[in-house]
Amino acid sequence: MKTVLFVDDEPWFHEPLRYALEAKGYECLFVTDMSLALETLERSQVSVVVTDIMMPAGKDYPNLDSQETGFHLIQKVRANWPQTGVVCLSVIGDQSKIRPLRAYKIDYLRKGEVPLATVVQTIERAAGEGGQKVWRF
Amino acid sequence: MSDPSSAAAEELTKLKSDNAALHVALKEAQKTNQQYLQNVAHQLTAPLGAIKWSIEALKDPEVPIQRKSKLLSSIYSQATILVHLIKNFALMSNLEADLELGQFRERPEPVDIMKLCINLANDFQPQAAEHETSIVVDELSFAEALQGKKVEMVKNLIAQAVSNLLENAVKYADFKTTITIDAQRASFANLPVSLLLSVTSTGLPIKAEETSRLFERGFRGSMAKQKVPAGTGIGLYLAKRVMSLHKGAIGLKPRNRESRFILAFPLSSAV
Repeated sequence: MKTVLFVDDEPWFHEPLRYALEAKGYECLFVTDMSLALETLERSQVSVVVTDIMMPAGKDYPNLDSQETGFHLIQKVRANWPQTGVVCLSVIGDQSKIRPLRAYKIDYLRKGEVPLATVVQTIERAAGEGGQKVWRF
Repeated sequence: MSDPSSAAAEELTKLKSDNAALHVALKEAQKTNQQYLQNVAHQLTAPLGAIKWSIEALKDPEVPIQRKSKLLSSIYSQATILVHLIKNFALMSNLEADLELGQFRERPEPVDIMKLCINLANDFQPQAAEHETSIVVDELSFAEALQGKKVEMVKNLIAQAVSNLLENAVKYADFKTTITIDAQRASFANLPVSLLLSVTSTGLPIKAEETSRLFERGFRGSMAKQKVPAGTGIGLYLAKRVMSLHKGAIGLKPRNRESRFILAFPLSSAV
């Protein structure tokens, strides 16, 4: 069974997405900050990380700017778990901030705006591609 | 006698300097306003986005029926949040006008405040459950404080003020804790003995230097922003305005990780 790790301080938002993915046989884990996400990655086999950008960094990173936490998490995932897929699900409108994600072929989807089916397909694709790509960030 | 041209030059320099300072202040205000609007937009679109996805999942034949029942509850919960938020924005403009006139838009009426609190607690229970917290109304404290009396108030305004306190408590409380609503008769701030309604939660500590600013329009504590990055910062401001209109007060008594927000009504309003 493939595992999807959601990192978002608004976990209720992903309930519909969770049900759609679980119906397809995925296991879904939820954490609300970056510190907990890294702890989970240390101990669990995760196929895809689905992360927000604006969220708390958590107890291990008290001085990190919560406006950009997701970018830091993505960098850490790329550096330490290069086989794990990453999908960014957020509401950032500033294109200049999103551009680096596109350059590294990380899918960025606007939370709540993109159809649910598209998000499910994107996550499935990222899960399928896990281990096939070499990520550089 | 001073040279008139030199005085004029001095005046001109001062005006230029004032103008530059105003320009900087204006830019700062524009930036704050822009950030505020972005926050408001997020607060409005997040529940709508969640509702939209829930409806899509309801239409998905692969999602089991038990899950669909949970999705319906979630849609209800998000719609409640949205209504509450929109009410806050509507209130904001009305309250400014009411305070200027020093009168209520609606006629105050005697209200069973304990019943009101129980209803509000029930409204917020689904959100509290999502955060693994629960809301308890200390009915005994209400019975002792009210002594069978009702409180004269504009019900909708006080309901909104209490809702704002509850919404914050749910957002910032630690998981698996209890949020308590109670009442007592005691003196508070500069008021004589008053009827105090408190919402107490355990969770995010509030920095001492920020307590006096919490009731300013748009202000959010640094710890609150760290835990929940998006927020409008108008809930406590509106609660304060509502209490001013009721000739009461609002305040905070923090103790370590416990935050007790108090709405104080003058005893004369107990009828």
